Amino acid sequence: MKQDSSLTKISKSPYLRFVLFGLILSMLPALTSGGILKTSWIGIIGGTIIYSIAALGLNLLLGYSGLISLGTAGFMGLGAYISAYVTGNMGLPWEVGILAAVIIPVILGVLIGLASLRMEGLYLGIVTLCVSEVLRKTFDELEPITGGFSGKSAEYPTLLGTLKLNQSTTFILLCVVFVLMMILTYHLANGQLGRALNAMRGSNVAAQAMGVSLLKYRLIAFALATGYASLAGALYAHFIKFVYPSTWTLPLSLVILAIIVIGGLRSIYGTFVGALIVYALPDLVLKRIPIIGDINGLSYVFSGILIILVVLFYPGGSVKVFDDIKRLLKKLFKRRVKENV
Amino acid sequence: MSEQIVLLVQLNENEILRVENLSMHFGGLKAVEQLTFSINEHEIFGLIGPNGAGKTTVFNCITQFYKPSQGRVLFRTKQGQTEDLVSQKVHNIIRKGLVRTFQNVELVSELSLMDNVLVGGHIDFKSSGFSQALRLPKARREEKAMREKAERILAFMGIDHLKDAMAGGQPYGIRKKVEMARTLMCDPKLIILDEPAAGLNDVETQQLAETIREVRDSYNCAILLVEHDMRLVMEICDRVCAISFGKFLACDTPENIQKNSLVQEAYLGEKED
Repeated sequence: MKQDSSLTKISKSPYLRFVLFGLILSMLPALTSGGILKTSWIGIIGGTIIYSIAALGLNLLLGYSGLISLGTAGFMGLGAYISAYVTGNMGLPWEVGILAAVIIPVILGVLIGLASLRMEGLYLGIVTLCVSEVLRKTFDELEPITGGFSGKSAEYPTLLGTLKLNQSTTFILLCVVFVLMMILTYHLANGQLGRALNAMRGSNVAAQAMGVSLLKYRLIAFALATGYASLAGALYAHFIKFVYPSTWTLPLSLVILAIIVIGGLRSIYGTFVGALIVYALPDLVLKRIPIIGDINGLSYVFSGILIILVVLFYPGGSVKVFDDIKRLLKKLFKRRVKENV
Repeated sequence: MSEQIVLLVQLNENEILRVENLSMHFGGLKAVEQLTFSINEHEIFGLIGPNGAGKTTVFNCITQFYKPSQGRVLFRTKQGQTEDLVSQKVHNIIRKGLVRTFQNVELVSELSLMDNVLVGGHIDFKSSGFSQALRLPKARREEKAMREKAERILAFMGIDHLKDAMAGGQPYGIRKKVEMARTLMCDPKLIILDEPAAGLNDVETQQLAETIREVRDSYNCAILLVEHDMRLVMEICDRVCAISFGKFLACDTPENIQKNSLVQEAYLGEKED
């Protein structure tokens, strides 16, 4: 009995859950090298993690503060190029690259936050979309830095100047960063900041009456969203090892948006579930189905249908499916106990 | 020089809020005109008037959601100074010790009652964003203390058994209580209630009257309320100010207000004889 209570205590600590989650994820390279899973899984799940990080940021913005951004892709691209440039052309360490790749976009994000004070809803979406498109065009044209249409290559990260990583170890690094970002998000979302953002979404007027400065918290929300997105972009550059301008277009922003809608607004695990469904599932399953799998752009059709289904049947996101399953199991279990008695 | 001194008029010793020559014009519409009244410490003060009299506008001018076209709103702050609120930003008003509720209960439906109350403690978090992001011990202690405080307030309002329930699914009466609980988080000097009895049944209104008195006594603050339910106003208010079409009619005890011919006229129309 005593053991049981300490076990439930452990399973209730959010930190342990996050770490456990990260540990399970980081077993993937071992599984592929053992021949249990295909090597392509590393690339796909790695991409899922990167998308999840960007989606976590958008979740803080859209899920908590209720502000929309269609510019996620632009900021991911900006982060990717900055990191690739700083490490490749300037020869600076990987850590500096990541730092630069986060700080510069965040400054830009704050500027957009200023614009958000004057507009909401669709109009804000349009402005962020424009910024993203301007960035994408810049990636095309600014050849000396971005390599233009032919793209720009980057290397796997070298930690602290000595530890050179390969694909598997970079994947583990992704897992570590992801867990850290999950914990950070958990802290932010469940503290004073999260409540202030929530209050703002609920009602601007009430938030102000409670002492929440709209200016300050909108800027923070935008800074966070761009920070997460550009971090994801920078990780992308060093994981995929190549950055093309055509990656950072509107469809990518919409995919990130689909991830949080399908996965679940304001849910950390939901974001990962969403990324799995939207990004990994088409690659792992759909493309293997004969005939249907050959259709171009199938994954968009798939996520489109999913959005409709989720909004209709699980407005809280597909992560709520797990809650329902849990409740169902509990019911079954209880019934069995009763029968036994 | 002497003019300067006249402008810096202080509040009388027992006054907490004085609205002075307040006017609010929306274009050509004069919603409030040259309104003056004052509220004493520890007083339950009612603001009444027929529909469209400008009561809510007065509220919004006091809490700075509207910037008055003219006039001053003097307030004795939590810090003990007398300040003109008109020069303050709307989100700083609560820091002075003045907090309000809303006519249409503004809660975040997706948050628990506990979290909704904690929103009211927003300004009292002292630890930096950095230490909160990392949950350093200081931030952790602070969060815990605030939660305990919120729990005490929820217990005071008699709804602590619902603290983890979502605000969205609660009945109207509970939501009103949560909103009141939220105002208590900042240790206010003056609470402004916008139609607290709207949408409540007779029993709930009776309970509300009790609660308002208890809040005043336990938290040692003054209360200003706008209300249509005359029974509630007459029962709990120490003094009542009546306005009509943005103009001052009378300010007196509830009994005298009822007898006041100007007030009767505003509500019932002119006598025909």
